Amino acid sequence: MILDRLAREVEALIFASEKPLSIEQLCEYTGSGEDSIHQALDRLNRAFLDNQHALTIVEVAGGFRIATDREFGDVVSQLFEGRKPGKLSRAALETMAVIAYSQPCTRIAIESIRGVNCDSAIRTLLERDMIRISGRMETPGRPLLYSTTRAFLEYFGLSNLDHLPRFDEIEELLGMSSSEMEERDLFGTGEE
Amino acid sequence: MKEKTVSSKSYRIELEAFEGPLDLLLYLLRRDEIDIYDIPVAHVADQFLNYIRAARELDLDIASEYLVMAATLTKMKSKALLPTHRYDGEEEVDPGAELRRQLILYRTFRTIAEELQRSEETWTEIYTSPGERSRWSSDSIEIEPGQASLLDLLKALNSLTEGEAEIPSQRIQRTMLTISECIDTLEGRIVPGKTISFREIIGPEPARLRIVSYFITILELIRRGWISCHQAYPFSEIELQRTERWSVDS
Repeated sequence: MILDRLAREVEALIFASEKPLSIEQLCEYTGSGEDSIHQALDRLNRAFLDNQHALTIVEVAGGFRIATDREFGDVVSQLFEGRKPGKLSRAALETMAVIAYSQPCTRIAIESIRGVNCDSAIRTLLERDMIRISGRMETPGRPLLYSTTRAFLEYFGLSNLDHLPRFDEIEELLGMSSSEMEERDLFGTGEE
Repeated sequence: MKEKTVSSKSYRIELEAFEGPLDLLLYLLRRDEIDIYDIPVAHVADQFLNYIRAARELDLDIASEYLVMAATLTKMKSKALLPTHRYDGEEEVDPGAELRRQLILYRTFRTIAEELQRSEETWTEIYTSPGERSRWSSDSIEIEPGQASLLDLLKALNSLTEGEAEIPSQRIQRTMLTISECIDTLEGRIVPGKTISFREIIGPEPARLRIVSYFITILELIRRGWISCHQAYPFSEIELQRTERWSVDS
């Protein structure tokens, strides 16, 4: 498969860029429309696949990047030994989940959902740059509000917040009284 | 007793694996195949308390959240056992409704957390260029305007002060002046038949320690009755004189 000029331009741009390039930037630098860029990206990825490259182009945190294949995780990880942070604990992941879906939210809100103290989980997430303090709630005590960061999207390979797994009902659920909730099983899961 | 320890051993491992009382409750419901919409309060309360008791036997630190839940469940259980008075037109309030709401909500977020964990699993094995790994190698993370957090600012401040010369310090020797030393000195200064003022004793421009030590010594000598003192009016000169007793006692 011979790649066209546009696809190769896109490849060159993504490779050379210091930062992930957004679709708008790719359009601007190549002088093409969004659809053409998307198609060019598809052709590139097909070419990578056909030629059994260890790379693909992915969209993470609103930008396109060249990514290595999962298969080579072990080999590549040697480059970053000792520097790469460990995986998040369950407490941190649960806290992360609550913040991701109900941001901006207070510590109290997180704790009322998880039913346990979340101080250390929040601290870990702040240190790892997964969340940030995005303001204060204008209620007595003016508690801090937490929101997710771009590092969060990058870490979990999300292109943007809309790409979080869909749980449309969460917002509804959070604001719903217990009696309202009785009436329906929101997730169709019923039992564990 | 020994049997008890063995049987509660399994609890220990499990309790530590729980992310709080809601997690433990969900586990109990699943284990006993209980429908979240039809929780037998008494049974669940007993099961929950069993865990807390076991943990307590092992002297484990039980997070206060577990105790709050235990209390809530006990209250619910006692309510469920008591006959309820229902008035006309009044709907029966289900005490389990709020708990159910909490459990469903928590279960949802736990599911999301599992989902996130799967993503984490995948994405820690993927390396991108340009990518997030610059975060691990350098401490100069680029922060977009308006996005800097308090933590970022603190980090920046720390990096400025890091490795900076220590705050210059100086050792200050504390001089000791004991009462008995003072008495020895005064022995030669307060001579029989002569009057000496306190100001004369401490000398010109005395250190605070010297004033205090000698003042206490004077008080001590007065207590022993070895000297007599005289002050004409407040803040005036204190005049001291040796008494007969000094020579007699010492």
